[in-house]
Amino acid sequence: MLLSSILVQEFAQEPAAEAHRGFNAGETIIEHVSNSGHDHPLIHLPSAFGIDFSVTKHVFMLWLVAAIVFIIVTWYVRRYLRQDRLIPSGFMNGLEAVVEFVRDTVVQPNVGHKWVNTWAPLILTFFTFILCSNAIGLIPLFDTLALLDRFLFHTSPDSFLNRVIHGGTTATANFNVTAALATITFVSIIVAGSKAHGFVKHWKNIAPHGLNPLIYVILIPIEVIGMFVRPFALTMRLAANMTGGHIAILAILSFVFLFTEMFGRAIAGIGVGMVVSVPLAVGISALELIVVLVQAYVFTLLSAVFIGMAIHVHH
Amino acid sequence: MNNPLVQPDPGLFIWTIVTFLVLLALLSKFAWRPLLKALESRQAAIKKSLDDAQLARQELERLHQESAKIIRQARLDGESIIAQSRSDAERLRGELAQKAKEEADGIIRRAQQQIQLETRLALQQIRHEVVDLSVMIASKLLERNVSKADDQRLIDETLKQIETSRQ
Repeated sequence: MLLSSILVQEFAQEPAAEAHRGFNAGETIIEHVSNSGHDHPLIHLPSAFGIDFSVTKHVFMLWLVAAIVFIIVTWYVRRYLRQDRLIPSGFMNGLEAVVEFVRDTVVQPNVGHKWVNTWAPLILTFFTFILCSNAIGLIPLFDTLALLDRFLFHTSPDSFLNRVIHGGTTATANFNVTAALATITFVSIIVAGSKAHGFVKHWKNIAPHGLNPLIYVILIPIEVIGMFVRPFALTMRLAANMTGGHIAILAILSFVFLFTEMFGRAIAGIGVGMVVSVPLAVGISALELIVVLVQAYVFTLLSAVFIGMAIHVHH
Repeated sequence: MNNPLVQPDPGLFIWTIVTFLVLLALLSKFAWRPLLKALESRQAAIKKSLDDAQLARQELERLHQESAKIIRQARLDGESIIAQSRSDAERLRGELAQKAKEEADGIIRRAQQQIQLETRLALQQIRHEVVDLSVMIASKLLERNVSKADDQRLIDETLKQIETSRQ
């Protein structure tokens, strides 16, 4: 899957002039999973308040995923709702099953019947958006574009296409993105608690009432730390899982080039690739399919659990 | 902090929040809320139709039992009506036969009485006739003393006269 992109990378990194620069696996892998740099953004935007708002690869990917999710979901839902009798068919069967699954097993048991319709849209958007962001990284869309560019289009390094090709495709592998998503969960927890109990009462719910005042000295800091640890855990879990799988696949595929270099023969690298790298990479990719789904589910479920904890205070 | 994997990127952070909130707003408005509402109403509709089916089944069962009861009742009624009409017919036939017999007896009795009466009248008439004839014949005989042949002729004449007078 990513073999082609590494090939392209190799060709790109090896100008005809300097023949033996050597294959730097670490650099190549990092290049493939990290965001494109702010020095070469897709669209250059001015900084405001010291923040560079330029559209980098991951911003582009967020928009792409958001557009895909919005168009597909809205298209099928609208078509479904236009019918006189609500009979789902085709893709809508799956979408409806997902929506009902999220509503009935993720949202409902946590936030309770009263708040289902308030929080189901947020949780559903979390799930679909994160799932698609995760999954799009498994599709070698930009790697195919890179191949085409390399052998067919020959665009200049400054062209938009060339800038789109570089950088990781999985936006959720970037902890800035997952931190932003976790921040939305963090705010949602406060909003949920405030809506259910009132703003002041929500903050009083942080610790149980009627205990020895001395206990609060320990308890309140712990609860406040916990408040921040939860979104932090969400952030790191998702980003690390998404990065990890990609790095593993890329490292295994790097064997092809490392062995080629080691023995000075392409056949050595290709042999190792056929026997070891590709089967292993396929296996890890299959595993990634599960990870993609599970991580989207875990983020969604934990968000629902945290929101539910703010609504139903158990002490 | 040279590793791009752990590079803080506030721009990306803010873009993510903006993108996600826009997507959330659009999807909520155009997809999730209408869909959730539709699913709920469909769920309600399914529940209602199941309840209705249950009610209809109970109603059907009740009607079934009722109709069975009605049929049973009708059969009993029919049997009792048949028995009743059979006994009625029996009774009526007996009555009719009795009546016919009485009538026939009456007719016979009346006929016998009539016959006796007629007979008596006839005998009386005969008697009167005989008396008249005898008187007539005797007077004729007394009027004329004639020979035996004459007597005979006289008798014949008289008889002839009687006969003609009768006619």
